Amino acid sequence: MPESPLAARAAVGDLVGAQPAAWDLAGELPIALLRKLGAQGLLCAEVPQSFGGLGATGQDNGEFTAYVGSLDSSLRSIMTSQGIAAAAVRRFGDREQRKRYLAELTSGKLAAVGFSEPGAGSELAGMGTRLTADGEEFILTGRKMWVTGAGYADYLMIVALHEDAAAAVMVPTDSAGLRIEKIPDPLGCRAAGHCDVYFDDVRLPASAVLGGGGQSLPLLFTTALSYGRMSIAWGCVGILRACLQTAAAHAKKRAQAGKVLADHQLVQRHLAELLVAERSATAVCEQASRAWDANSAEMVVSAVLAKHFAAGSAARAAGSAVQVLASAGAQDGHVVARAFRDAKCMELIEGTNEICQLVLAQHALSSVN
Amino acid sequence: MTVDQDTGTQALDAPAIEQALLAFLAEQIKTEVGPEEDLFGSGLVSSMFAMQLVVHLEETFDIAIIGPELKLENFRTVSAMTALVLRLREQQGSESDA
Repeated sequence: MPESPLAARAAVGDLVGAQPAAWDLAGELPIALLRKLGAQGLLCAEVPQSFGGLGATGQDNGEFTAYVGSLDSSLRSIMTSQGIAAAAVRRFGDREQRKRYLAELTSGKLAAVGFSEPGAGSELAGMGTRLTADGEEFILTGRKMWVTGAGYADYLMIVALHEDAAAAVMVPTDSAGLRIEKIPDPLGCRAAGHCDVYFDDVRLPASAVLGGGGQSLPLLFTTALSYGRMSIAWGCVGILRACLQTAAAHAKKRAQAGKVLADHQLVQRHLAELLVAERSATAVCEQASRAWDANSAEMVVSAVLAKHFAAGSAARAAGSAVQVLASAGAQDGHVVARAFRDAKCMELIEGTNEICQLVLAQHALSSVN
Repeated sequence: MTVDQDTGTQALDAPAIEQALLAFLAEQIKTEVGPEEDLFGSGLVSSMFAMQLVVHLEETFDIAIIGPELKLENFRTVSAMTALVLRLREQQGSESDA
């Protein structure tokens, strides 16, 4: 097992190789690869060593996430989901649950996380999925949509209403009454295994309900989303790095009318802005990870800011990279074509641009009397 | 709700914790709240702030709030949070949790 996820970068790069283009076209990741990375603790690298994980700092896990994001955003999305599940288990699980689930999540079992519902995206009040006690057991009813990684998962971590509060439950994907339907042809992160899932009186043991439930819904959401936002923000730094590198390399060697593209000032402008975007998104993510590692209350807003800035930067930069590559990058599977679609989706997930703006505006307003 | 106020030899007692929490809330949400006021029911606390509150309690009072301790009831009012902080300081101070 590597000491830090950063030490595993080269090995992960070798495992991934040139496959992301084919994954994008097929809309599928090799599950053996996911289990292999999972068994090395790399899908949720912040799990402490005492629970079988790598015990990475947020900063190191962030850099590793950016590296994976530079290779393939579908694979990075799987890391994001697994990491959210692990963070929620660490925060909300009891002693036994932390021991059991964190061991599983660092030994090859895969977890997806379900929040959104047809009537409840960012608006929590519309949530309809409910957990009800039935003797010693619990029954889960409802549905979740666009669950990233559900197509590969062994567990779905589902946030549901419970009594007058909420609960997070670990639902095994072989449970009776659970139906998982793959979403055909998503715009981006095409191989990330997005599914709609339906719970028709799924029976669960009490041990599946993290911390016994009865927890604050906003608290459950914000905890899970904060990890997710950090992970997506760093993943977008990876998209920026891939775009910068690919555009610069192309501009340097592609000749038109006796001149390489890089000799054209308008192309240089694209490269300059790509560099600015990559450096500034990195700085914003580093700042948020410092707050995260210091367990500072600042981390909640910093994670929103980092996600919003990095996703917007990546979406714009991916557009520039496609512009520089032109026909050379205008095919599905190509790194900049994937970046273009994947980055757009990062402006939608874990709080759309607009929801992030509302949160950030509230923060700005709350700091004045 | 029973309040388990076993302050022991801790320098921080219930009134000090309550005072610190009321001041923190007043500063953060720009509203004066009472120790028994329902923060969640009254809509004073946003989803973002709930998480900040947990992290602030952990950071300020050197405790870990995990698992079943995250029950909404423990955060509903300043006096409930005060009781939680006292109880966790008592428990966790006596544990050598690895």
